Amino acid sequence: MSITLDFDAKQLDNKRPLQLHYLPVKIDGNGECANVDKFFNNYTRESSEYGPGVLTNSLRGYPLVGKRESVPKGLKGVVLQETDPHQEQRQLRLTGTFEEFTYWNYDKVPSKGDAYQQALILLDVADALASPITEEQLEEELKRYQQAKKENT
Amino acid sequence: MSKKTTRSAKPKVDPDAAPQQQKACAIKKVFYISEKLLNTDDDQRMCLERFYHPGKGQPALFITLQERHIMEVLEYAEPRRSWLLNSEVCSNGRMYMTTPIDPTFLALHHLRKHCAQRAMSLDSISVDEADTSTNRLLTKFINADSLKCVADVKTSGELVFYKYNKDRTLAWLAVKTRQVVSVLKAKQVHCGLGAKSQNFVRSEKIVDDNDVKEVDYLRMACDYVGRYLDADLHAELTRYLDIPSEIQALVEENATAKKRKSQQSQVSANSKKIKLANGEDAATQLRNSSLLDSDDNKESIISPPSTLAPLKERTMTAKEKVLAKSAKGSKSIASFFKVK
Repeated sequence: MSITLDFDAKQLDNKRPLQLHYLPVKIDGNGECANVDKFFNNYTRESSEYGPGVLTNSLRGYPLVGKRESVPKGLKGVVLQETDPHQEQRQLRLTGTFEEFTYWNYDKVPSKGDAYQQALILLDVADALASPITEEQLEEELKRYQQAKKENT
Repeated sequence: MSKKTTRSAKPKVDPDAAPQQQKACAIKKVFYISEKLLNTDDDQRMCLERFYHPGKGQPALFITLQERHIMEVLEYAEPRRSWLLNSEVCSNGRMYMTTPIDPTFLALHHLRKHCAQRAMSLDSISVDEADTSTNRLLTKFINADSLKCVADVKTSGELVFYKYNKDRTLAWLAVKTRQVVSVLKAKQVHCGLGAKSQNFVRSEKIVDDNDVKEVDYLRMACDYVGRYLDADLHAELTRYLDIPSEIQALVEENATAKKRKSQQSQVSANSKKIKLANGEDAATQLRNSSLLDSDDNKESIISPPSTLAPLKERTMTAKEKVLAKSAKGSKSIASFFKVK
């Protein structure tokens, strides 16, 4: 079973960037909603008292504190959509791309302590884990271990 | 009255509209895709495929391109997250990230399973497996050179045979772990025991540096590497790297903490005695407490038996002192029986 990502690099460049908000809420339901520009974006304010670049807004009366986040280096933000999940050959189509999005927290200034920020550290860790090891490094480690063994016995 | 009708009318409209909307737009997914997969000239399509993930013990999602590149797909999810895409709500608040992976980790599981006793070629390993994904993984995505790190390679003619080599594998994993340690250190990830507020770590950084031990980093890195290994190989790696288990470390830490506490209480008890004792007793105690040694060794040797009694007495005197205090100002009983 495999799912094809049905797009190529050219399509990526042609798409207009999407405007994304990462909200700290669980919403039951998908699809078109009310005018986001008029009812949400309109009320986004920059509040320097929380720090540089911190934004505030509210959703249904709940205060939100947010920040613009850019997609980490070496990665590309892409939104995909499955056309028909019941098909034999599953496919994901490209909806749009993004370079930046707004990360919103409920009642908490976005910081390094956020789970999202910590997840990004994992990207670097994965890089380190995947980077290849040379034959010399391996030989060195083998020798070191043999020596340590001798010293212990 | 009119207000009420509009309120009751609204929910009636929604259930009808909702299914239509959902049909129009299936759930969207937000991806972070590595540019390494995107910046290729030919228009090959990327694929999401499932391969056996040794750390999870079941197939997991990987992204592949042109039967050359393979990356892991990690899912980032929080309990309450949703996306707003332009003016659309996306209830799927997950984020899918592609992270590089060394396919050797994936091959390691199959090598250990099949090539522990005898050397085999890669395409004959997968014959036994019912799942075709193993065959695809081993023959397409595994870089044969990189397997040298974990196996003995024998070539005969065009065929290449591999035999699992435990020593080399553990050494290879140890080097990998050290690579992870250096990243954890560079990123100042808190690896010590227990949770700490991020702010706390920041502000107390200088003091804290001694607190976070090398072993803690090594344990965290080893656990991370272990996420890509079979459970028993993870245990072997932990033993190889000499990492004490977290519980063991906790017990040790507690033991040292207790020691300190008991020492403290002893010191405080001593100081209390000195306070309570009157001048004379304090002097004898000081002589015995080995704070003043070497001066008069003779006396200190003789004195222990003699001071044992005063020590007991002294506690009595403390009580008596209180009694005496309360009796202050009252006449002595003897005065009543005096002959006048």
